[in-house]
Amino acid sequence: MKRGIISSMIGMAGLATMMTAVPASAATSNKAITVVLAVELDSLDPCDTQPAQNANVVRGNIFESLTHVSPVSGKIEPLLADSWKQVSDKEWEFKLKKGVKFHDGTDFNAAAAAANIMRTQGGPSYAGLACLNSGQIPDPVKAEAVDDLTLKVTTTVVDPILPLRLSYVDIGDLASQTKAAKVLNAVGTGPYKFVSRKQGDSVKLTRFDGYWGTAPQIKDVTYIVRKEATVRASMVETGEAQIALSIQAQDATDDGRTVTFKDNRIFVMRPMTFKEPFKDPRVRQALSYAVDRDTIVPAILGVTGAPYYQMLGPQVNAYLPDYDAKSAMKYNPAKAKELIAAAKADGHPVETPIDIITRPDILPDGGELVQAIAQNLKEVGLKVNIRSMENTAWREFLRQPFPPEQPATLQMISHDNTSGDASFSFPKYITCKGINSAICNPEIDKLIAEAEVAAGDKRAELYRKASEILYKEAGFIGLAEQIRLIMLAEGVEYKANPLSGLEIRIADVRLKD
Amino acid sequence: MHTYLGRRLLSGFITLLGVVVVVFFMSRLTGSPIDLFFPEGAEPAQIEAFNKAYGLDKPLVQQFGIFLLNVAQGDFGTSIWQQRPAMEAALSEMPMTLLLASIAMTISVLVALLLGSLAAVYRFRTVDRTITILSLMTSSMPHFWFALVGILIFAVQLRVLPTSGSNNWLSWVLPVATVSIGPIGVLTQVVRGAMIDVLSSGYVRNARARGFSARRVVYRHALRNAALPIISVAGDIAAGMVNGAVIVSVVFAFPGIGRLIVGAILNRDYPVLEASVVVVGVSIILLNLLIDIICSIVDPRIRLN
Repeated sequence: MKRGIISSMIGMAGLATMMTAVPASAATSNKAITVVLAVELDSLDPCDTQPAQNANVVRGNIFESLTHVSPVSGKIEPLLADSWKQVSDKEWEFKLKKGVKFHDGTDFNAAAAAANIMRTQGGPSYAGLACLNSGQIPDPVKAEAVDDLTLKVTTTVVDPILPLRLSYVDIGDLASQTKAAKVLNAVGTGPYKFVSRKQGDSVKLTRFDGYWGTAPQIKDVTYIVRKEATVRASMVETGEAQIALSIQAQDATDDGRTVTFKDNRIFVMRPMTFKEPFKDPRVRQALSYAVDRDTIVPAILGVTGAPYYQMLGPQVNAYLPDYDAKSAMKYNPAKAKELIAAAKADGHPVETPIDIITRPDILPDGGELVQAIAQNLKEVGLKVNIRSMENTAWREFLRQPFPPEQPATLQMISHDNTSGDASFSFPKYITCKGINSAICNPEIDKLIAEAEVAAGDKRAELYRKASEILYKEAGFIGLAEQIRLIMLAEGVEYKANPLSGLEIRIADVRLKD
Repeated sequence: MHTYLGRRLLSGFITLLGVVVVVFFMSRLTGSPIDLFFPEGAEPAQIEAFNKAYGLDKPLVQQFGIFLLNVAQGDFGTSIWQQRPAMEAALSEMPMTLLLASIAMTISVLVALLLGSLAAVYRFRTVDRTITILSLMTSSMPHFWFALVGILIFAVQLRVLPTSGSNNWLSWVLPVATVSIGPIGVLTQVVRGAMIDVLSSGYVRNARARGFSARRVVYRHALRNAALPIISVAGDIAAGMVNGAVIVSVVFAFPGIGRLIVGAILNRDYPVLEASVVVVGVSIILLNLLIDIICSIVDPRIRLN
């Protein structure tokens, strides 16, 4: 029953409409493909699969989790767990799949699952190793093996979406989780096993003959990295690669080989509400009224973006369906000027220079888009400087604690939420203690705290209320919904889905004869 | 000659010391590896253990002292990114860089000698004007643009070369062309200027008066005397090729020290960054020394002074 609640909670109708069916498995072959990536993976650790560059290679290929979000229905489905039930408010029991083996021949069992879950948490780490996935389980849980195939998970708070959270816990053979193995080895249960990695060059996988599920058609996979989008597209054109990720609009083809997908990735701006002139919500609202999204987004992003006004995508349960039509603060420079003048009249120093904090790689053609936004803001009388910086420096402006000398900043963020649940975004980004939050509103905090322990429609309703306050306060301002492109070579079949930004299951790729 | 070499070695050593100091402090400016290797809100104990393992928990000055002591013993530490000795990572990439630079430099010099000499011999005529315009174009052409256009024409349209990588000899063509294109333009101009000076000198006129063939006058009499500025500029360009080739590494994913340095910066891998920059520094110092020796052989006045 609980499973039903959870499923319905994230079984988002919208998600299903934009997805297409995963192709049926074909007979095995000895064929090989090359996948060209934009960014090299930096870890082969099952506990580091949150960054997309790692997930693109290992998730669904080398590693699998107990549960899985279906790219077709958006519902939670069994993967390494056969079934689960909520025994009490804080206790869950998972029955694991029989006959699953790791790539090194050892058996997958409840003890291995428990150890991986325990590792995916803050606190003392396994073998001195950090775990980048630890944010996926914000409140501590205790996982223990009841018997070989039964796992008990006890939470410290009521967590109705635990099965969803466990879809982010990739399971690896613990013996492979050492410091050196973090970059040079990976042992999971997935349809492909790790063969080799040459850092800065390539990663090779091959089909795992002992896979518990349907054997994939393609035998060998080589991942290579080409930083230039034009080069990636050219490699597919010439047949040097069969799949290219992160293609730019200008390289897209219109012959069906460029496939698009939306993964709830939104380009937003986050005003620093703790500093003038953004302490006054009217100045923040003016930001939204000042930006002419309908003109600049299509002109600059082309097929890779559409104007947008919210922080979270349409498939997330905090999405406000009527917001764009009724309440969105759309382009109205006169209104923006009026709000700024009113704030000035009340003593807010609206002439304070504002630093737009961005990154060159924030999204394809992001540099031009940020320049256009800055121009829009200048046109309504705001003083803005663009500060484009490298990722680490950009992150220092993003995260709390903010140094007292940090000026009024407008942080450009490309935010995605593929889970469908706002708990993967809101606590971090809009609560008073959220590490990436530049807003503090007790009312929002209260709603989010209530939503965390609620389920289904009630949970979604509470998140939507938090969204309403957030957008009214202009704590986060949506700019564009990002649409992503993948290019396929002739004869390659792959149906992109909202999870394609995180995982490209090679088992879902089919080569025509 | 020994005194001259000794002086050059000493100045090279002082330069290397400067490189070591600068790379240590500059590498710290790339940011902290903590942001890459730890999740948001990681436990302080974890971060502390990481810092301790890589000696980042000590004051910067103390870190520098330990770094200098280790470097004196050839130990640059273990790569945070690759989990192997940093110097091993740097040295493994250097042969490809040196090979690429050597091929590109040889092609650049040979083409420049031919075109520059032709332009000088046929000064102010159509050949000279054509070569001058072409050399100015190639020397001012953005490498990045040239690389992408090269891929689109030769790999995508004509399908005669691979787009990138380093799998076979064909994959060397575009990277070598990209690295050579600018130096060919610059060196052609230098050769032309030097040759014009020399061709108008008394000993060349004398050689012509004695009835030597034009080819012998140009290649045996004039070119040798025009060699000094050409060697000096070629030396500078060669140093740039060893140091750089970053465009080649980014666009073509061509292996080499450029790609390693970019990767080390992105991964906040101080040990590999330090080892790579020092290896490049040593290469450039040795290259400059070689150029100095060649110059002193070509023109003995240099070592006498």
